[in-house]
Amino acid sequence: MDFLKHLYEGPGILTFLIAFPLLGALAAWLVGDRSARATALVVGIVELLVSVPLFFTFDPTGTCPQSVIGRQNEGLPFAFSQLTVPFQNCTDAPWFADWGIHFRIGLDGISLFMVLLTTLLLPLMVLGSWTYIRDRQRTFYAMLLALTAGVVGVFVALDMFVFYVFWELVLIPMYFLIGVWGGKERVYAAVKFFLYTAAGSLLMLVAILYVYFRVHSVTGMSSFSYFDFMNPLAAFSAREEALLFLAFALAFAVKVPIFPFHTWLPHAHVQAPTAGSVILAGVLLKMGTYGFIRFAVPFFPDAAHAPGAVKWAMVLGVIGIIYAAMVAAVQPNAKKLVAYTSVAHLGFVILGIFAYNLIGLQGALMVMIGHGLSTPMLFFLLGMLYERRHSYEIEDFGGLAASIPVFATMLVFAAMASIGLPGTSGFVSEFLVLLGTFKTHPYVALLASTGVIFAAYYMLPMVQKVAFNALRSPANRDIPDLDRRELAILLPLVVLILWIGIYPKPFLDRMEPAALRLLATQSTRLAPPMQPMGDVAAAAPNP
Amino acid sequence: MSFFAALGRPEVLDLARQTHYFWALLPEIVLTLGAMLVLIVDVIHKGDRSEPSRGSIPVLTLAVLAATALANTALFGLRDVSANGMVAVDGFRTFTNFVYLVAAALCIAISMGYLERRGIMKGEFHALVLFATLGMMLMGGSRDLIMTFIGLEVMSVPIYVLVGFDRMDPRSSEASLKYFLLGAFSSGFFLYGIALVFGAVGSTNLTYIAETLGTGTDHGHERLLMAGMALTLVGLGFKVAAIPFHMWTPDAYDGAPTPVTALMSTGVKAAAFAAFVRIFAVAFADAGAQWVPVVWWLAAVTMVGANLVALTQGSVKRMLAYSSIAHAGYLLVALLSGGDTGKAAFLFYILAYTVMTAGAFGIVIANSRDGEERVTLEDYAGLGLEKPWLGAAFSIFLLSLAGFPLTAGFLGKLYILRAAVEGGQAQLAVILVLASLVSYFYYLRVIVVMYMRPARSEGWHAGAGLPLAARTAVLAACVVVVAMFFAGAVPMRWAEQSALSLWRQPAPVAASPAPASLFR
Amino acid sequence: MLRPYVPLLVLLALSVVNAIFMVVLSTVLSPGGATKVKSAPYESGMTPLGNPRERFSVKFYVVAILFIVFDVETIFLLPWAVSARRLGWAGFAAAGIFIFILTVGLIYEWKKGALEWD
Repeated sequence: MDFLKHLYEGPGILTFLIAFPLLGALAAWLVGDRSARATALVVGIVELLVSVPLFFTFDPTGTCPQSVIGRQNEGLPFAFSQLTVPFQNCTDAPWFADWGIHFRIGLDGISLFMVLLTTLLLPLMVLGSWTYIRDRQRTFYAMLLALTAGVVGVFVALDMFVFYVFWELVLIPMYFLIGVWGGKERVYAAVKFFLYTAAGSLLMLVAILYVYFRVHSVTGMSSFSYFDFMNPLAAFSAREEALLFLAFALAFAVKVPIFPFHTWLPHAHVQAPTAGSVILAGVLLKMGTYGFIRFAVPFFPDAAHAPGAVKWAMVLGVIGIIYAAMVAAVQPNAKKLVAYTSVAHLGFVILGIFAYNLIGLQGALMVMIGHGLSTPMLFFLLGMLYERRHSYEIEDFGGLAASIPVFATMLVFAAMASIGLPGTSGFVSEFLVLLGTFKTHPYVALLASTGVIFAAYYMLPMVQKVAFNALRSPANRDIPDLDRRELAILLPLVVLILWIGIYPKPFLDRMEPAALRLLATQSTRLAPPMQPMGDVAAAAPNP
Repeated sequence: MSFFAALGRPEVLDLARQTHYFWALLPEIVLTLGAMLVLIVDVIHKGDRSEPSRGSIPVLTLAVLAATALANTALFGLRDVSANGMVAVDGFRTFTNFVYLVAAALCIAISMGYLERRGIMKGEFHALVLFATLGMMLMGGSRDLIMTFIGLEVMSVPIYVLVGFDRMDPRSSEASLKYFLLGAFSSGFFLYGIALVFGAVGSTNLTYIAETLGTGTDHGHERLLMAGMALTLVGLGFKVAAIPFHMWTPDAYDGAPTPVTALMSTGVKAAAFAAFVRIFAVAFADAGAQWVPVVWWLAAVTMVGANLVALTQGSVKRMLAYSSIAHAGYLLVALLSGGDTGKAAFLFYILAYTVMTAGAFGIVIANSRDGEERVTLEDYAGLGLEKPWLGAAFSIFLLSLAGFPLTAGFLGKLYILRAAVEGGQAQLAVILVLASLVSYFYYLRVIVVMYMRPARSEGWHAGAGLPLAARTAVLAACVVVVAMFFAGAVPMRWAEQSALSLWRQPAPVAASPAPASLFR
Repeated sequence: MLRPYVPLLVLLALSVVNAIFMVVLSTVLSPGGATKVKSAPYESGMTPLGNPRERFSVKFYVVAILFIVFDVETIFLLPWAVSARRLGWAGFAAAGIFIFILTVGLIYEWKKGALEWD
């Protein structure tokens, strides 16, 4: 046990979580079509088993050293010094040292859950694709594993260069997952997905470089470190800060997606294979909201807290919730319906983030987790249905509760979790968001709470039409119920949804310190935001 | 390189002594002898004149290139005392020489099998590639405008022939004639420009010109100098294929045998750019007020125009031609950025660009068949699925050309952006980013077609592939493109040191670049 | 300043005048006008045969190029020969390299069959 404790306090564990799926991808590609899925499953299970202890060993108050530009005394030149930062399992290895690019990764209470969500979904996705994917299996599983590696990298990166690389790395496998194994209009969906996201991320790249050069011009040193990007010396004019925030926010808004930038999402979801939809809804969308929480807001607190920005975020969030709900209600395609529910749920996240209080932010994080469990479950269920009937059209079904009762039960449960019935994760998280939003923007909270009602309005008829009603079509009669493999996919999700719904305290406890720290950056740059992040210790000049 | 020192290489060259020219020109001498050897061996080996050359000729050619590369290492760390010689002895030349050699080697490697299929397997091809490479080395390594011109001609004349090498193919001949006429025209411009610069400054030596302009004394020939610079610019603009001097490029690239296209878009461009850097960024550095605005517009128009036109291309080969024009625009940004970072960025990018472009043309060759070039987008449909290695390699090259992370192209573009912002060319940096965004679309389209459309017919891709040597070369290019991202610090350091050595007097290599030069 | 050039100018003027004078004189003095026979191409007194725009064998050009190569060689070697003693061994080496390269070219042409007519 001592050895394990040592392992989970050290830096290697995160690198392993990134590198292992990458190696697994290579292995899956090399072993060939016949055993690719088995390889991927083994890799996924090992990845999950390795990551789970992080939940227990995680110390909300843990710290680790990172090299950050600083100076010991006024008047002395700048040099890299070791800063104690509230992250754990940090790595800080020089990569392009001249440019200040280090392989910096670390884990805090926010990234912890995103990483765990990703590693949880990985083996489930492999199982979900077990019979669904028949063509070019080795490439499929290689892409899936590479995608997972990229997502984990995004969530633990503490270097803006490394972050950007992982951010873009996610793009390519996802693009292929949609474009090669997708439905009829897969090419259109894939290209739209790629171009939307790539356009957003190039804007972000420009903004990253701008901040980088500003830090360089102020300190004379190059660094892409997350902490240096919050350097109070690199102050921006209000206009600069607004533009930079906008560039970051646009990149993330496309990914979330926030209301006017959401049009790629329904296409991508409907065309993607089950595993693609699952990881898209489960974690890829969270990369956007994570970006807001981790980067956009702390980097440019003045712009992010400007009344105009908050107003726009609130308005777009509420529009997202209500508009998406209304569009979802009229979808004849069940998968598209679920896709729109994502837009609605992530609207809640946006509200929670921009409420700028602890409850709101914790709520936003909880929605991210809860949505990452319930929506994948819905997509898995629809995928299972599709394998049996080759259709996502709600009209084609009816009375499935009679023919395949276990499936129907699961569908009802997932729908309830998605709506946010008390006792499920959806309730806890959305309640927190509404509470937090109510504190600062009561009217917005009022409007947003209708979203919960709307959720019932679009979800329940779908469940009714699919699972209940009369069993008219004979094609729906002679289909097998869920088998053990499929239950193995769904049950972990059921357990987690109930756990969070009934006893969310372990989750809230772990994210609280990190959430508080991020909220502390809301004060302007006049008060150095680095202060609450730790203090300069052992300032050893680093060439 | 203690090896060459043991052979008697002096530590510092004095080009006033003629024997020292032997060391200064060692790679060129080796290459010349090698090229003549290839020429003679080929004709002696062949019993009957009409029969194709033996398979040993390309191997011999690669050996000559390797020997030249080895000779090129003799230049490592070498300096000369006066910097007034006809040939430059600096790290910049060593670096760019390697780039040309890589380009030539890749050209020869991917031509294996291709020449036989088109029925043009002749030893002259290989000898001409070597002579063209010699021209590149002379052009990019000269420190005198006359030498630059001679290098330009030695490089261009073999290329004119190579473009029309498949003389039974009317498109090849047409491309050759077009390239020859416009190329001769541009050489004329260049030569006239040299004459006017000579008239204004009184010397063709680049170091002397830089010093004369640097002293700021009024030489009384402002207009003459401006006209000379303008004509030189036009001549070089043709060779690097910058818009609006690019008209020959798509036709010449499209009509030429594909390995020649690869050489033209990499080695020839690199040599012309190296001369561009030496003439404009170094010799005319202090007359920047006159030429920088012009080149600024050249760069902007080239980046925007080429990327927009590339969008409409239905042929992959033509698309790559426009892509190469667009990359000329990016390289011009590096050149404009000035400073050591700009030149280092230029060197890093030209190396990355050479490898990825030559690799991409290698895939174009792999997809061609006897007597027909399969270059339309539809011809690539399904390639990625039926030939996973070819598809993966092409995807990597295309993503690198687009500047996607995990590839050399991304790091190169980042380097150029950094140089541009440091050099006060932030607007160009923004244009570069926007142009790259446009380029995503057309590079991506090829990948879309390769992976997401079914092949034209069953077994359409059955014969796609390369012989072993060519396959190895393309694979190596692939590995280099990815490795230059992960281990990019190594070539970066090398590029920085090489760029530092360029500035007028050969300077001792500094340990790290000074950060004080920001935002000048 | 330009005084030394005056004789040159005079020479130039004289040659121009002389040329014009000759042309005018021949026009004035020549007898008769153009007849059919007179305006026909002159081929050593024989009747013209075939189309004058006939294509020559490419071998003529090869031979012509060969000639030019050696012509240029002469042009380079003569000045060197004149000042061979002043240029010393370096000059000798340069000329040697030059001839060596030309020889390689000659061998190539020879092996290629450029020297054979059939």
